[in-house]
Amino acid sequence: MMNPRDASPKIPVLGAIENSLLAQRRASKGSKDDINSSYYQYEVYDNVPLTPLNNAPLSLKQNLESPIQPSKLTWVVNLASMSRDNMLCSKCGEGFEPQEKIVNSTGQLWHQQCFVCAQCFREFADGVFYEYDGRKYCEHDFHVLFAPCCQKCGGFIIGRVIKAMNASWHAECFLCEMCKQELADTGFIKNSGRALCHECNAKVKARGLGKYICHKCHAMIDDQPLKFRGEVYHPYHFNCSTCGVELDANAREVRNRPGLAKNDTNELYCLRCHDKMGVPICGACRRPIEERVVTALGKHWHVEHFVCAKCEKPFFGHRHYEKKGLAYCETHYHQLFGNLCHHCNQVIAGDVFTALNKAWCVHHFACSVCDQKMNQKTKFYECDLKPVCKKCYEKFPKELRNRLRRQHEAAPRRAPTPVE
Amino acid sequence: MATAPSVSCLPHNAKMSKAKKVLDEAREIQNPELDLFDKNVSTFEEMTGLLNMTYITRLTLSHNAIKSVPPGLANLSNLEIINLANNQIEELPLSLSSMPKLRILNLSINKLYSLPRGFGAFPVLEVLDLTYNNLKEDALPGNFFLMGTLRALYLGDNDFEYLPPEIKNLKNLEILGLRENDLLELPKEIGELTRLKELHLQGNRLTFLPPDLGQLDMSSNKAAFRLEGNKWIPPIADQLQLGISHLQDYLKSETYRITYNRCLTNKPEAPPPCEGKPKKTCRTR
Ligand SMILES: [Zn+2]
Ligand SMILES: [Zn+2]
Ligand SMILES: [Zn+2]
Ligand SMILES: [Zn+2]
Ligand SMILES: [Zn+2]
Ligand SMILES: [Zn+2]
Ligand SMILES: [Zn+2]
Ligand SMILES: [Zn+2]
Repeated sequence: MMNPRDASPKIPVLGAIENSLLAQRRASKGSKDDINSSYYQYEVYDNVPLTPLNNAPLSLKQNLESPIQPSKLTWVVNLASMSRDNMLCSKCGEGFEPQEKIVNSTGQLWHQQCFVCAQCFREFADGVFYEYDGRKYCEHDFHVLFAPCCQKCGGFIIGRVIKAMNASWHAECFLCEMCKQELADTGFIKNSGRALCHECNAKVKARGLGKYICHKCHAMIDDQPLKFRGEVYHPYHFNCSTCGVELDANAREVRNRPGLAKNDTNELYCLRCHDKMGVPICGACRRPIEERVVTALGKHWHVEHFVCAKCEKPFFGHRHYEKKGLAYCETHYHQLFGNLCHHCNQVIAGDVFTALNKAWCVHHFACSVCDQKMNQKTKFYECDLKPVCKKCYEKFPKELRNRLRRQHEAAPRRAPTPVE
Repeated sequence: MATAPSVSCLPHNAKMSKAKKVLDEAREIQNPELDLFDKNVSTFEEMTGLLNMTYITRLTLSHNAIKSVPPGLANLSNLEIINLANNQIEELPLSLSSMPKLRILNLSINKLYSLPRGFGAFPVLEVLDLTYNNLKEDALPGNFFLMGTLRALYLGDNDFEYLPPEIKNLKNLEILGLRENDLLELPKEIGELTRLKELHLQGNRLTFLPPDLGQLDMSSNKAAFRLEGNKWIPPIADQLQLGISHLQDYLKSETYRITYNRCLTNKPEAPPPCEGKPKKTCRTR
């Protein structure tokens, strides 16, 4: 229960932190970081309760100068040498009994029952108390009444307090709004209401200028940037993987594992070494191929340079046909090398029936004399490489059959099976 | 399951009924492909109503005894295929050559001694089979070699002694059949048939070849150049023995160019006409 008499704490106003001795001392030492002018100053102060040392005298004086440093009381048990006559309790103004314990803190004396938390009137656990505006509080009440709350998570801040952007923060809660990196130790830059790290701020600025920021030195890249493993750099940070020469923007990034999206094994080469090292050369224009490579006919080609040998139109991924080291589109391959059906003279779409040096649509293979369809099982003869069914052959003039037999030993043959 | 053929109720007139039955059925189902082969037909008149079936695309009349073809056949303007193989045809109407869709015309094993004047006017003819007739170079019409759409020309078992140099105009020719004629010499223009992949020259009276033939693709797996049964001069016979690609190389060589020129001025002795040919049944009138 609170004693309303003297514990009614006014809503405490932490004194302007610039006025704190600690802050003043830090400021007077001068910033140890080379902070440029655009650097937005912020303050850090410590709010660490001291764990009481065993009977240690209160020697950490400077800590007491900070209003939120805990203090440790000292017991004065045996003051036999001193006369108690002139000693009075700082709280109640009464004297002390001869054997009474006297509390001595920062040169003042109290009755033990008078040396209590201004809020809860209980003794201080382990003697740790916090002083503010002339009153002393236990750790719990001090935090409740005066400790700052984190702007991000709303929790009390015990220990390091980051005061920035007109609010208080846990160190681990004060982050760059773009990359989420902690800003407590690196400093930050206020950029249109956001706290950003130097890098992100530089990136935002460069983007506004249409430039890149080097991923290594974080400076703006005024000339041509070098792209490498998905980031941009000043080219001069790198050397050719082969000859070691310092690179310029013409350097080439080479994928070590083609086809893999991961680029973390990519390497950089100067243009000369790049051209020498098995980078595919187009079989048509003899220039290196940087983009998509078509591999066919034992060569590499620019997509737009891999063309039909007859009509010279690029295949662009459409099916091509190879013949004697040349590639042809479907139309010209069939026109020139004929998988045209001997009967309908069309490109054979489905299964191809090949026999007698010719090809047929499966359903167009027929006896050349009676036009009856034949299939894989039909026995047929050939006359001038035309298929003739057995019935028709037997109706040929006898003398013709004799001559054909003599000439071809025209044994009935089985039609070959259709091929794809 | 085999369905029993409907028994004809006119057994005494089997010859007529066979063709009639096919025609009736075809008319009923509007079948565009008409199979009238081996139906004992001797005249078109026997095939009542045939010339009105303008929707048909194929007419197969092989293995009959047809002697003449009426000009009215050309009225079947949707015909793409006419097969008259193994008949007795001695004469053809010019009208056939104006049929707008005719792609394949088979006149093999007939008794043709000549073709009508102007017969080369076919607009879309692709395959012309004249095997086993009695044709020779002077029996061809003047426009015969103007059939630019021709892919295959079968002239085997005829009586050609020379092939007109105009053969070069058949730019699309892929197949040229000249088996068992009386050919004594080939024109060098045959080398201009760049799409030629089948050349049947067996059983002729050839002794040498134009070097231009070496320009053609004679040795691909789609090609068939048949040269047996001729009286080749020894170097050609030797190369042929080694294989067609050796012959092709030889024909292209400088050595052969000299040999060829010598052959042209000093013709090798022509072999006698082929044996057995006079007995060709198509010669019997
Ligand atoms: Zn208290
Ligand atoms: Zn926090
Ligand atoms: Zn950042
Ligand atoms: Zn840099
Ligand atoms: Zn290229
Ligand atoms: Zn093409
Ligand atoms: Zn077909
Ligand atoms: Zn047949």
